[in-house]
Amino acid sequence: MGGQACVFYGAVEFSRDADILILADPPNLDRLALALADLVAESIAVPPFSPEYLARGHGVHFRCAHPEAFRMRIDVMAKLRGVDPFAVVWDRRTTITDQDGTVFELLSLPDLVLSKKTQRDKDWPVIRRLLEADFQARPDADERAIRFWLREMRTPELLIELATRHPALTLDLFPTRCLLEAARQRDQAGVEAGLMAEEQKERERDRKYWRPLKAELVELRAQLARRNLPN
Amino acid sequence: MISLEDICEGEWVDWYKLTPLERWHESDKLRTYYLSLGGSLDPEPDSQSPFDAGSPPSPRLVDGRPSLRVLRRGGV
Repeated sequence: MGGQACVFYGAVEFSRDADILILADPPNLDRLALALADLVAESIAVPPFSPEYLARGHGVHFRCAHPEAFRMRIDVMAKLRGVDPFAVVWDRRTTITDQDGTVFELLSLPDLVLSKKTQRDKDWPVIRRLLEADFQARPDADERAIRFWLREMRTPELLIELATRHPALTLDLFPTRCLLEAARQRDQAGVEAGLMAEEQKERERDRKYWRPLKAELVELRAQLARRNLPN
Repeated sequence: MISLEDICEGEWVDWYKLTPLERWHESDKLRTYYLSLGGSLDPEPDSQSPFDAGSPPSPRLVDGRPSLRVLRRGGV
């Protein structure tokens, strides 16, 4: 769902870790534990690998010791802020099959874009490139794709182009994205200001979402440190 | 009509033009090369990440560049 998915979708060239979104029910967690054992992966840091923490939105972190993935980090989550529950995103996932039969199950592009709306600087240029790559890949886009671009595109020039080419759809989406008015007027500075405002709002939402979870992590780390103190 | 060549750096446009599987295989080559140079798979410290515990910095990257390349911030 993370950097590796962004490689497939064209927004990054390389990622050093693997992020996995899972259904956190007991049988599936058992299967995941077996796969992690194959990778000789150890849980690192906090929280512990348990369904309770995953259900609350925490990420559980592993480091592999298998020679083919030595020291590779795997982050596992069961819930993403701003993204529908697992069952829904699984139904609309993207499946890619390699010539050797390897199957890759990816978050759909719209879900990946939503998951990247975080408090981190580095995620926002990635969203921009995810949309640019999609725009490049679909010269004969249907209405659904154009609506998606009008909702999520973060490249001012392309937003203005889309609003000019699709005025009715743009008008239809005004209630959900006010910067489209600036795009319709070909006001690039206005579009840029609107994009910045959107980003700041989402960053604040993300910080608010993570505040209690981070507090919980701080407490877990303190407990761990106390347990590790020599008597 | 505007084209991506007008607004993006050429190497990104070339990357966008690949198929998802072509990108995956190219990325795998980059990863292999990176590791052959002694690159580390340890995560970079990221003070903005909710997962960051203020851990000490990981070993320096062999190419001195971040793993997820950000070519611009674009003022957005």
